[in-house]
Amino acid sequence: MKSSLPWVALAVSLGFVLVAGYQWDDGEERVLVNNKCKCVTVTSKFVPSKDNPEEEVLERNIRIIVPLKSRENISDPTSPLRTTFVYRMTELCKKCDPVEIELGGETYQAQQSNSCNEPETCYTYNRDKCYTTTFPFVYHGETKHIQAALTPTSCYAE
Amino acid sequence: MVCRSNLTWNARRMTLLAFILLLSFLPAESAKSRYPPKTSLNPVFGPQQVYGLIDGSVSIKCFYPPTTVNRHDRKYWCRESSRSCLTVVSTSGYRARGYQGRVTIVDFPEQGIMLVNISQLTLADQGTYQCGIGLNGKGLSNRVSLDISEGPNIPEEAELFYVELQGSVSMACDFGEDYASTRKFLCKMEKSGCRNIIDTYGKIDSDFQGRILLSNENTEGAFSVMITQVDWEDAGLYLCGVGSYGEYGETKELDLHVYEGTKAAQGKHTIFGVKGSSATIDCHYDPTKNYSLKYLCKWRTTGCARIIDNTGFLPGPYEGRVAMFDNPKNGTFSIVLNQLSSRDEGFYWCMTDDHRERRTSKELKIVEGECGLTGKEEVQAEVGSRVDLTCSYPCKYYSYEKYWCKWSRDGCTPLTSSDQSHPGLDVSCDTANKTLILSLDPVTVEDQGWYWCGVKHNGHYGETMAVSLQVDGGKAANISPELLDLEASNAAAAPDEAVPQGRANSDAGVQRAAASESSEQSSGSSTLALILGPIGAALLVLAAAFAVFKYRQIRRSDLVSVGSYRTNISMSDFENAREYGANDNVCMKQSQETQLGGDEFVTTTANTESTAETKKAKRGSKEDADLAYSASLLTPSTTTQSPAGDSTAPAEAPPLWGGSV
Repeated sequence: MKSSLPWVALAVSLGFVLVAGYQWDDGEERVLVNNKCKCVTVTSKFVPSKDNPEEEVLERNIRIIVPLKSRENISDPTSPLRTTFVYRMTELCKKCDPVEIELGGETYQAQQSNSCNEPETCYTYNRDKCYTTTFPFVYHGETKHIQAALTPTSCYAE
Repeated sequence: MVCRSNLTWNARRMTLLAFILLLSFLPAESAKSRYPPKTSLNPVFGPQQVYGLIDGSVSIKCFYPPTTVNRHDRKYWCRESSRSCLTVVSTSGYRARGYQGRVTIVDFPEQGIMLVNISQLTLADQGTYQCGIGLNGKGLSNRVSLDISEGPNIPEEAELFYVELQGSVSMACDFGEDYASTRKFLCKMEKSGCRNIIDTYGKIDSDFQGRILLSNENTEGAFSVMITQVDWEDAGLYLCGVGSYGEYGETKELDLHVYEGTKAAQGKHTIFGVKGSSATIDCHYDPTKNYSLKYLCKWRTTGCARIIDNTGFLPGPYEGRVAMFDNPKNGTFSIVLNQLSSRDEGFYWCMTDDHRERRTSKELKIVEGECGLTGKEEVQAEVGSRVDLTCSYPCKYYSYEKYWCKWSRDGCTPLTSSDQSHPGLDVSCDTANKTLILSLDPVTVEDQGWYWCGVKHNGHYGETMAVSLQVDGGKAANISPELLDLEASNAAAAPDEAVPQGRANSDAGVQRAAASESSEQSSGSSTLALILGPIGAALLVLAAAFAVFKYRQIRRSDLVSVGSYRTNISMSDFENAREYGANDNVCMKQSQETQLGGDEFVTTTANTESTAETKKAKRGSKEDADLAYSASLLTPSTTTQSPAGDSTAPAEAPPLWGGSV
């Protein structure tokens, strides 16, 4: 009786996993990736298979908006127009938001991937970020470099 | 002592169990919340369908996350055509031809709401529109279908609720006095019908356990439902109603939308507390606002029983074991609960008097384990003598800030050596033995009470240990006669033993050794105790084993284990009586209708507490022992003086406990 307790617990928790799994595939479309930097969203949902209508398969939808008028360096309006756009699924699917884990009663922040500190090349502006540039301004024969907002609505102070 | 270290077998089993559970729960929990639904891509939310009358007017309210950029960006209302969405009106001042003088858009950036009003409606206005943010129609918009009819009746629109992820929401419904005594419920619309979420019969959906509350409002027939820790899965259409869905009564539609906010996640929802040790619940609030009331309450299916608030309210069973530490600078109040027992397991809610404030709920789970902080938990002293309260801490707390404080209903006042207002006190840290000693020299009657030893790390309150100090003011000691007979008949100097006069000690063991050295009488008493203790314990174990064996023999035909059988039966009996309205107790009926907030709540708290207490009293013998143990903590006694005293305590305590509730 006593030794069977952990097995019961295991069975119960496996049940939870299955229930959770069942909740997941309730036919609703889920967001796997929402990369605002490269303007890519990846969603997936279960749909009836074309080969076997009784079977459900996971359909993955990848939506990419290519900003054809963006510059090589989006923070520099004088840089040339971007002509190459590279989308790597492995990079897009990378999880870089930290998770909280508890170790010995203490809560720590843990990184979910090992290459999250590398700078990411963005193809478009992130609405939540303020992008600025400097431009030369001649006044009374004197040239000054003045900072200007590229995305004014995103540049308000709190 | 509850934090036993000799229960390694049990502890190991528990860790294994916890490990298995954790291993299987972690992926389950994350799989559920890792991938948000597609609706999360568009955070702008508004009605899907609005109805207007010819020559009448409609008003459309759209919500957006009040981030800096959203607050300053352009808001628009456009009409969908075959290829694009043509702007009707925008906050930059544009107004399309044909709409001049009859359409307005007003932005409330602080609340994250835009309001569109169209008047002098004609049939030509019927169509599909969008309310949105920005310069183009990419992503940040909500589609609204406008229906124009001649009337006179137009369908009622769903009430909209816009809730931040992990935030909380309060939904109010009022169906009038006619339904004052009818069943009230909230259900969620799904493909198969309306799934019951909560009702006044105490039925709560498993997904909402511990994070939903239904409370009656001041007016008859009105009620409100509060949900915390709102997740993506909670978005959707709900019905609140009276009666029964699809059968009788009335309903109202509630449309709930979840958006990802900018505020940081509020930490973990589950807190693990070691039995006998303490747990800290951190509650967050808006530091820019001024609250007259902040409190913590324990969730029940019928309401939320207040445990502590900032005005000094504290029910009896929590005396000396719960304290609130407010930090207005970063907007947190931490509640520390110590002397944990399995009865403390459950859901706790952080509350303020502001209805709009996000509320947090945490689940407290009690696990077996070792306490970090140890020391003598009950100390008796005589007026004028010196007493040292000791608190030993493990190496893991070496770098932590450690403190002693004096507990009161209003909090725990730190005691430091620099405290000039209390000259007889001194806090010193014995780093060699890793013991924090609080010396009271001389002890006065005012010093009687609860003292807490605790650790702090980065401003976060960690483990605490409570010590009850009993001061004898020259009057007769408050010890029960049986105890005196047993222990102090030949040694009349029992209080002397408890007060190590003029001596610093690091823990109870040392103190006993020191006491036996100093006086022959007390050594005699402890020898007696040493002999009597093991014999008594052995006899008890034998008797218990025999009783269990006998009972098993009797019950063998049922093939049910003793413990679980008893516990389950007594529990379910009580629950049934409670749920299906066996009206045997007027107080219980009241407690079922517990209000949230307000004066009424305070008055009913004691009832819920006491009914819970009687409920617990019906449980198995193990819980009885726990109860007795906590009772012995609450009552002033010297039971921990000798091993023999320990075995008498459970027999002594229950009547005292009953009196203190």
